[in-house]
Amino acid sequence: MTATRLAERLAQLLPVLFGVSLIVFLMITLTPGDPVEIMLADQRATDEQAAALRRDLGLDRPLVERFLVFLGNAVRGDFGISFFHRRPVWDVIAERLPATIELTLVALIVAILVAIPLGVMAAVKRDSWIDRALSAASLFGVSLPGFWFGILLILLFAVEFRLLPVGGRIGFAYEVPRVTGFLLIDTLLAGDLSAFGNTVAHLTLPAITLGLPTAALLARVVRSAMAEVLASDYVLFAEAKGLTRRRVLLRHALKNALIPAVTVTAIETGSLLGGNMIVETVFGWPGLGRLVVESIFARNYPLVQAAVLLYAVTYVLLNFIADLLYTALNPKVRL
Amino acid sequence: MIGRRSLLATAAAVAAMPGPLAAQTRTRDVRVGFSQDALTLDPANHRNRETQTIIRNIHDGLLTRDPAMRVVPEIAEAWRAVDAKTYEFRIRSGIRFHSGDPLTAEDIAFTFNRLVKDNAMGGQTSPRKSLLGPLRDTVVVDERTVRMILGEPWPILGAMLPFQEVVNRRQVERVGQEGMQTRPDGCGPFKLAEWRRGEAVIMERFDGYYGGSPAIPPVGPAQVDRVIFRVIPENSARIAALLAGEVDIINELPPSAMRQVEASPNADVAKVNGTRTFFVALNNAKAPFTDVRVRRALNHALDKNAIISRILNNTATPLRGVMSPDAFGFNAELPEYRHDLARARALLAEAGVAEGTELVIDCVAAFKEVAEAIAALLSRTGLRVRAQVWEGAVLGPMWQNPERRRERDMYLTSWGNGALDPSDIMVPTLRTGGRGNSAGFSNAEVDRLLDAAETEADQGKRAAMYQRAQAIVTDQAPWIFLWLPQDLYGVSRRIAGWKPQADSRINLHRVRIA
Repeated sequence: MTATRLAERLAQLLPVLFGVSLIVFLMITLTPGDPVEIMLADQRATDEQAAALRRDLGLDRPLVERFLVFLGNAVRGDFGISFFHRRPVWDVIAERLPATIELTLVALIVAILVAIPLGVMAAVKRDSWIDRALSAASLFGVSLPGFWFGILLILLFAVEFRLLPVGGRIGFAYEVPRVTGFLLIDTLLAGDLSAFGNTVAHLTLPAITLGLPTAALLARVVRSAMAEVLASDYVLFAEAKGLTRRRVLLRHALKNALIPAVTVTAIETGSLLGGNMIVETVFGWPGLGRLVVESIFARNYPLVQAAVLLYAVTYVLLNFIADLLYTALNPKVRL
Repeated sequence: MIGRRSLLATAAAVAAMPGPLAAQTRTRDVRVGFSQDALTLDPANHRNRETQTIIRNIHDGLLTRDPAMRVVPEIAEAWRAVDAKTYEFRIRSGIRFHSGDPLTAEDIAFTFNRLVKDNAMGGQTSPRKSLLGPLRDTVVVDERTVRMILGEPWPILGAMLPFQEVVNRRQVERVGQEGMQTRPDGCGPFKLAEWRRGEAVIMERFDGYYGGSPAIPPVGPAQVDRVIFRVIPENSARIAALLAGEVDIINELPPSAMRQVEASPNADVAKVNGTRTFFVALNNAKAPFTDVRVRRALNHALDKNAIISRILNNTATPLRGVMSPDAFGFNAELPEYRHDLARARALLAEAGVAEGTELVIDCVAAFKEVAEAIAALLSRTGLRVRAQVWEGAVLGPMWQNPERRRERDMYLTSWGNGALDPSDIMVPTLRTGGRGNSAGFSNAEVDRLLDAAETEADQGKRAAMYQRAQAIVTDQAPWIFLWLPQDLYGVSRRIAGWKPQADSRINLHRVRIA
């Protein structure tokens, strides 16, 4: 891919971001509900005090002006002050982001490790009991409510067997210096294997809860793509040439069958990043999803706007990465 | 196969752990499973009850409340009214902040001026300003004495001061407004060890603690090494953490989960009367609620004890009026609207309300079950009542606006009264035009009594005025009076020395390992 092509793709981001900003801004500000009223709640306050608070938050200005101010500041990387934390929005988001990314990536790894072998196996042994069991299991997995499944895992593994912790990222006996914000990395950098193990233990249940529905979806995609590839002429040819079954499957078939899986994975990564609020809430995981949900209920406009913008950028970039991976998997695909 | 290898590696890492739960805590830690993280650790920069509950273990106040909710001195040694607009406070000697700086009258004046003066927080005004009413200025008299100057008489100053904590002036100068969010330097029983945002606030015992209020024994440093407020927003997960022994206290235990905790061998349920009055606001400006007979009929029609026992698991105290029995100026002589369907039907007929008249109770999702039960019980009068669920951020403002609530009928709602003083609940919810007067109630005599009580310095006379106002309100029945829910906590048998408080604080100064 040429540098011009790359620049072009990145330039395409701009209208997307502008559109997303506008829609999010309108949606959240036009949704009924007033952050000032929510902040004051039951407390005694005069109309003047409420008006002063509104002025402090910049909510007394007209809608158009507010949007332009937001846009102008956002271009400079300034997303304003979180109404409730009273700190810059970006600081609040940045300290929550590593937890969310870490959980998402581990969940994704769980999903891929489960889905690809199972999908391939089901395709190879089509219509066998393995195939049927997998299809039933994946239907179950896709329709599993994360909330219910998470609580179930907690009751089983934390309360009943006491094998794994109920929630949180790491036990309170550990103090790990923050370097990257990713505890799996920071614990290793600190050379503390016990803390690393503790981090893994804390990640296990939320990652399984978050990863299994994705695994179910991915397994179905891999199975159908693999089945299609296995029926194609070049696979027949490869087998006729006398290559081993293993070599045919892994070298020739799997690589092509993975192309749709890559798209699904990229999109799913976006959804995992943006859609893990339920899992984060159940496991008390200090991530971004939970923060955004709390902020929506509190009408914390600046934080919601910045977070949704971040989700949009991530989505677009992930799709871009998926495009790049296509070319690696199949040189015939050109961007 | 990379997949198989990394799976094995993960499994090995999990297996190699020295028992995740054993490593979770030290033995002299007390851990609270808490529904929400602190928004900030700056006592002046929030309006959030949970944030204050956490902060209050790091910072002390000039005054505090004892377990019976009486206002008692904490950092102050004594206090008195010089006149109706001036109060003098004598500061205890020998108090030090966690940094080692001594606490002086300067710090007290600085703290309160930072709270009430415009733009006093680096250009911002404290969101807590309105909690201090007409307080204008705090001045240093001598090293151990300050005076608070009010713009007008305000007899509830004492009841409102436990909501504020004292900060170290030098610390604010050292770390700035931004730094105050995360680097508190209080004089409370615990000092901040680490704040893992969204996950936990970890505190260590402050060995130089002056001991706290002498009115609340035992006085002295905290009895455990660390306390940890661990954020677990989801109810079931919070209960699971208690049952798994990962936390020692959980807040906001739902009544439906009481049995589960009681059945556990290592935890108990603890209850305390809350400070939140529940009621159904009747739209007093709309027919048929304009007729006091209709409002009284609905009070007679509702069997609230049935709801308390069947839905709320007996975790609420029925109310005949607006005030909590624990509050200042509570009128214990209020007559009761006894549950009497025949009387309710007769009153409705007298007022000319036709059978089958349709009425709607607005509520938020959390109270859907209760609202539906109320609707069903009221429907026994022949009215056709149903519940309608709204989002809180929409419903509250709608009912606050007389124009927007014009077509609405009833609103199942509540009002908190953390100050346990009528001024803090009757003025907003029952005075003409009050911020929380969703019923649109307006009574000249009640307004006059509330206004007079606001500036009456004689507490006996003030109480009498509020009692009279409560009697009028109960007689006029602008609401269907409901109940005061109890706050429920799950408490592990591993700890002792802690009881829940009506103000929902979780002060861990006196807690110990059993």
